[in-house]
Amino acid sequence: MAKSLSLTSSTALRDENVLRRVRHLGSARDGLKEWRLQRLTAFALIPLGLYFVASMLRLATSTRMTATAWLASPAAALLVILFVLAGLAHMMVGLRSVFLDYVHTRARLLLAELILRAATTILAGASVLAVLKLFLGR
Amino acid sequence: MERPLSPFMFPTWYRFQITSFLSILHRLTGIALSVGSILLAWWLIAVAAGGQLFTATHAFIASPIGIVLLVLWSAAFFYHLCSGIRHLVWDLGYGFQIRDAYRSGYAVLIATALLTALTWLYVFLA
Repeated sequence: MAKSLSLTSSTALRDENVLRRVRHLGSARDGLKEWRLQRLTAFALIPLGLYFVASMLRLATSTRMTATAWLASPAAALLVILFVLAGLAHMMVGLRSVFLDYVHTRARLLLAELILRAATTILAGASVLAVLKLFLGR
Repeated sequence: MERPLSPFMFPTWYRFQITSFLSILHRLTGIALSVGSILLAWWLIAVAAGGQLFTATHAFIASPIGIVLLVLWSAAFFYHLCSGIRHLVWDLGYGFQIRDAYRSGYAVLIATALLTALTWLYVFLA
């Protein structure tokens, strides 16, 4: 254990907490935000996901409707963008929990989380860009 | 110090239970869907870009291996959806009795099989 500082008994508990926070030990204290986001995106993804699957079915079985024509409509473009954003946010929180469970070295965990966030952001940006391109017709 | 490793728990030492199996399956399908999201983004970009990229992507999706991957992806999606609803019901505070957990677990498996089968019957018959 690191060398202990001399603490007066009256401020010992507070000083210990301050030291722990400076050393980035203990909980991150914002787990509730992530838990709520996970549930929120989960609720949203029930209708959004079903809409996406239904649209895929329609595209797969129709001879006339193309993906380009489908995404040219504003409702479809909006729903697909919402589906992608909600899905990727949900995915990021979920995969973060998986990493926390299975990656035990702090350095590797931070690296894995960095890669995860970078990949998710890039995927989200690229997907929204693709849908916008189709919607705007350029 | 070398510590003894426990023998592989399932199924020799630890009885198979539907609850733990569905739980790990929820995680596994989540990971599979995460990989699938990369392909989803790829498909959207291919549709937007058009041209050679789109025809190549479409050819792969329509190929036998593409169809197999889609079937697996849809099964994972439906399972994660039904199991996720089961989790949300728990979050609301219902269904914690062992009997209810088992029943909802079997319901999730049946719903997944039904949804996947209906979806692909629709694709191949319509």
